[in-house]
Amino acid sequence: MRDYLLFYVNGIRHQISGTRGFQALADFLRGDLGLVGTKVVCAEGDCGSCTVLIGRVRNSVMCYEGINSCIQYLYQLDCAHVITVEGLNGGAEKIHPVQKAMVDAFGSQCGYCTPGFVMSLAAMLETQEVMTRSSVQEGLTGNLCRCTGYEQIIDAGLSLNKKNIPKPSKRFNEDAMLADFSEHVSQAVSCEYEEKWNGSSQKVQFYVPTTLAEALEFKQQNQQVTIIAGGTDISVQLNKEQIEPNCIMSLTHLTGLESFEINNKTITVGAKLSWSKLAEHCQLHLPQFAEIIEIFASRQIKNAATLAGNIANASPIADSLPFLYVIDAEIELSRSQPDGSLGKRWVRINQFYHGYKKTEMNADELITKIRWNLPETDDVLKLYKVSKRKDLDISTFTAGIWLKLKKGKIQNARLAYGGVGPVVLRLPETEEYLLDKPLLPEIFQQAGKIARNEISPISDVRSSSVYRSQLAENILLKFFHECCDSRNKKEAA
Amino acid sequence: MKVVGKQVPHDSAIGHVTGKALFVDDLAFTQNELIVEFIASPVAHGKIKSFNSVELAQLDGIAGVFTFADIPGHNLYGPVIQDERFLAEEIVEYVGQPIAVIAGESRKAIRHAKKKLRLEIEKLTPVFTIDEALAAKQFIGVPRVFKQGDFEKAWSTAEHTLAGTFVCGGQEQFYLESQAAIAWPGEHGEIHVHSSSQNPTEIQEVVAEALGLGFHEVVCVCKRMGGAFGGKETQAVIPAVMAALVATKTKRPARIAYTKDDDMRSTGKRHPYKIHYKTAFTTEGKLTGLNLEIYSNGGAGADLSTAILERTLFHADNAYFIPNLFFKGTICKTNFPPNTAFRGFGGPQGMANIENVMQEIALVLKKDALEIRRLNCYDHADRNLTPYGQVVRNHLLPEILDQLAETSEYRRRLQEVEQFNRQSTTHLRGLALTPMKFGISFTTKFLNQGNALVNVYKDGTVQVSTGGTEMGQGLNTKIRQLVADEFAISYDDVRIMITSTEKNNNTPPTAASAGTDLNGMAALNACRKIRKNLTEFASSYLLPPDSGLDPSPENIIFENGTIYDDRSKSRFPENKITFRELVKLAFMERISLGERGFYGTPEIDFNRETEKGEPFFYYTTGASVSEVLIDRFTGQLKLERTDLLMDIGETINPGIDKGQIIGGFIQGVGWVTNEDLRYSDKGELLSYSPTTYKIPNIQDLPEIFNVDTIENPQHKINVRRSKAVGEPPLMLCLSVWIAVKHALSCVRNDAIPRLNLPATAEEILRRITELDDDSKDAAGNSSVDESEVSLVSLPILSAEKK
Repeated sequence: MRDYLLFYVNGIRHQISGTRGFQALADFLRGDLGLVGTKVVCAEGDCGSCTVLIGRVRNSVMCYEGINSCIQYLYQLDCAHVITVEGLNGGAEKIHPVQKAMVDAFGSQCGYCTPGFVMSLAAMLETQEVMTRSSVQEGLTGNLCRCTGYEQIIDAGLSLNKKNIPKPSKRFNEDAMLADFSEHVSQAVSCEYEEKWNGSSQKVQFYVPTTLAEALEFKQQNQQVTIIAGGTDISVQLNKEQIEPNCIMSLTHLTGLESFEINNKTITVGAKLSWSKLAEHCQLHLPQFAEIIEIFASRQIKNAATLAGNIANASPIADSLPFLYVIDAEIELSRSQPDGSLGKRWVRINQFYHGYKKTEMNADELITKIRWNLPETDDVLKLYKVSKRKDLDISTFTAGIWLKLKKGKIQNARLAYGGVGPVVLRLPETEEYLLDKPLLPEIFQQAGKIARNEISPISDVRSSSVYRSQLAENILLKFFHECCDSRNKKEAA
Repeated sequence: MKVVGKQVPHDSAIGHVTGKALFVDDLAFTQNELIVEFIASPVAHGKIKSFNSVELAQLDGIAGVFTFADIPGHNLYGPVIQDERFLAEEIVEYVGQPIAVIAGESRKAIRHAKKKLRLEIEKLTPVFTIDEALAAKQFIGVPRVFKQGDFEKAWSTAEHTLAGTFVCGGQEQFYLESQAAIAWPGEHGEIHVHSSSQNPTEIQEVVAEALGLGFHEVVCVCKRMGGAFGGKETQAVIPAVMAALVATKTKRPARIAYTKDDDMRSTGKRHPYKIHYKTAFTTEGKLTGLNLEIYSNGGAGADLSTAILERTLFHADNAYFIPNLFFKGTICKTNFPPNTAFRGFGGPQGMANIENVMQEIALVLKKDALEIRRLNCYDHADRNLTPYGQVVRNHLLPEILDQLAETSEYRRRLQEVEQFNRQSTTHLRGLALTPMKFGISFTTKFLNQGNALVNVYKDGTVQVSTGGTEMGQGLNTKIRQLVADEFAISYDDVRIMITSTEKNNNTPPTAASAGTDLNGMAALNACRKIRKNLTEFASSYLLPPDSGLDPSPENIIFENGTIYDDRSKSRFPENKITFRELVKLAFMERISLGERGFYGTPEIDFNRETEKGEPFFYYTTGASVSEVLIDRFTGQLKLERTDLLMDIGETINPGIDKGQIIGGFIQGVGWVTNEDLRYSDKGELLSYSPTTYKIPNIQDLPEIFNVDTIENPQHKINVRRSKAVGEPPLMLCLSVWIAVKHALSCVRNDAIPRLNLPATAEEILRRITELDDDSKDAAGNSSVDESEVSLVSLPILSAEKK
């Protein structure tokens, strides 16, 4: 056990304990280290101005990804290497080629978002992506600029293809860091301190376990603990003062939960697998889901956030849920039993939610795995997300539609809508109506009208209830045109 | 070696990409520095009954809590009408209105202190919409009326008439760097403020007035802003005064940096508008008359609303000649943060309205809208008189429309789009080509001035200071280029210094797109004074004693860093001197090497009694054509292609100007599509951060995007024959909004579709559903009762963020 976090920033070693560990990386960089090149605009992971590279050890190699430093807290960074915009060119006089490209292309105007764009482009260099117009757009989806209109930034990205550019991380001595980390990574980190304000005091603790057993034991002993995997939602709530947890457990080192297995048409996903990695796997095995993941969030968020986090957060507009509902996924919940052994149970997602932000999960349990069966050839699966802006926006309305067909008729149907109630909803009456029906537009038009009556959505900042109801109706006819019409025509032919 | 006209990178580009370009909140903390935040009104309209400021001030880590009673000078301010309070006194008038300033040793201390806040406010009835304000008779300023010809006669004798209502929402500036200021107490009660402001002079004056100081006791500087777009023209004064108040009271440096959430909730935005229009036109499609009843939603204070409404009136014609017209503009007072400047400054709303009218005329006559636009477009010899008596001269509006129609293959694509719409059951396409004409100059005459200080040092290098501020638009780069060429020296030998009221006094805001026009000319005028001194000296120094020539300053040439007499060039080729040597010698001869330049825009004048005159020095013009694809089931919009064409005169820096054009256009696309301000029915902004307020991101660019400029040899005025380029391109976005209208008009051919602005997916689907459902004449409907503000009744206040 250690009482300090260990990480590097631009190659410089830091040991951090106590209250200093309980702050966002961006605040630490700006406030403690004076590295003010990293900007904070929204403090909620939506603008990308605070993007930095974070390197973590994976299979004994340091792998770097772009991360929003405003919603990455220091307790998530044990045994990591952070590279900021100041670290790109180091002490060298010459600026890094990615910086030069932005200068030459007029990629900056006011300059406030610029370090974030530079770091997102640097992240693309780390993974050696081929720069095309669409890959640059993909890589920079999480960075907002209000001045340039982005075209000249895309030009900057495209110009990077022509040169043989070293990875930004190349200039650091990783061997020393790897050695240092391997000495420390097997020790759990536990930091405690007192916060005293205006006559009241409270103990604050954060804990970074190294094994699942340690994590479950801690959860059993501290049932109110706030669990952090990617932290992309909890950290926003922390920044916006919506929650004030005094006990945090970061799952940073539980790399065993980052698995992706496929056998016998069953996919099993570890709770801590990031959305980026999940997307890579799904492109191969489940393109319908990959399509939704693509517009799910920015790359920085997808690098940090996890499927389990999306489930545990229990939002009615969580983008993964309509899919998990209609594919009838199961969730593995683990706990430490009184005798110290590992207890596990599988719960169907369709039984997991009891109400707004209420779930089947007990206070001593953690989500450890999620599994589902791949759709079969006769199944039609389609997922929808409607949001104000197509990319990097929170859903106004989501839908998952799964049909099992037999001889041109619907043998089984599962429909799930999000954003139309306190939890994601299945639509039993509409599902019932669709049984044994042929794939005809009037069927889906009628199904839409039934679906509309099964829900009573609210009006909020994203949309009026009227719009949500209309979408609930229209989406089924849209589904017909996109997924059934062509199938009909194929069969007719 | 000339640099004007060259692609010189942005002055601060290397600082931007390395993170070394510092913004206000990046400055290192000085010893003893305090953090400043404010306590905001949670209600839209109310009476403050009690507030535990004394208790808060005693809490851990709190250095002071200050209310209006602590302001030593005036608590009242306003750039035009003095009707706003820095800190609320008895009444609060909008959610987010500052009530008190709280200063602490750390953000954490303030966070904990705010938990002990007890603020009791008696609620009063708020007014949110234009219609509510009209009913309550709550106005700002007096109505303005523009008249020409005889509208009533045109209306009563018209071959065709049309009436309707245009409704548009506001827009958040969304500069990435939120409002920020640091104040340092100086000797003898002086205050030094570093503010993220487009208007350091106003900060200086307003801080002085609030603190009861002379203007000479306050210095305001601004190195750069992380975007502003008008949002820091007037509203940067509030944080600056807060920091200055704390610095004065505590004698400690004080820093305020708004969070994005606080910034969006407490500052003003682009004005929402509602415009009732009546138009008369011929069967051919010529406008014969236009009547506009224009209302803007001003918010709780005047701010710049009167000037913004004035610019709406000046741009209600956009690019069209209107022989008979009656425009009346009124500002409504409501319980929102005072709305303020935003790129376009009232122009976009007026122009969107007339583009909507043009589209509807085309629908009534069943003609192509471009034909109608071209028919009504300002001409050269006649049909070129604006509603305010200025003649549109030396313009290329018809040529731009024709060229763009040609290069974008508008006519062929229009046929394809309409064919597509007849066939597709799943999607709609729309295509529109709209012109843009934007008047350059502040419409308030006295603001059209600038001054500059140019210092030449003994090594031949130069520092330039102007009242212009750098917000990303490239002003400093352009001035550097202008000055370098004026002395024929290297660009690297010129530096633009921090904007400071110490060096440049009584300066206008950097606004109205006129930053380079005013400050660039002022800098050139200063350079020319120095050059005159140097030229006179050089004219005798450079003559060989036996040349037989008399000194002639007219023959002294500055070229590539050297100075020579062109009469002796061939005979005495070595008889030249470098700029550096000349400067050193001139210094020894006691010749002034530092001068101030002044510039006031010539010719402009406007009479607000008659509402006629020549308010603009010239116009920047252009046009755009956009094609959109709409999902019929969800209303979601995709911008497939846009072509832009602009007349920006002779560019000083093509790289920078291209950035202004693209950036302005995309910002406008945000306004007309996805940027949707939503409030609770209690007047709280719900879309107060990028999670819920969606500005365009990199995926929202048109798939095909062509940007071009057109040469205008007739444009012979302004600094190096350039044209202002800051605001105008924003209004090229109207082709996107009108393309949506065009798409909707293809749903059925017996109705004129309505469309509010922004055309969000929700708004588009609502209109499609309306057209699909409505069996009766949809044209009979009108937006007259629709609100320009989105108010949402929340059943439960969703704290959900992600």
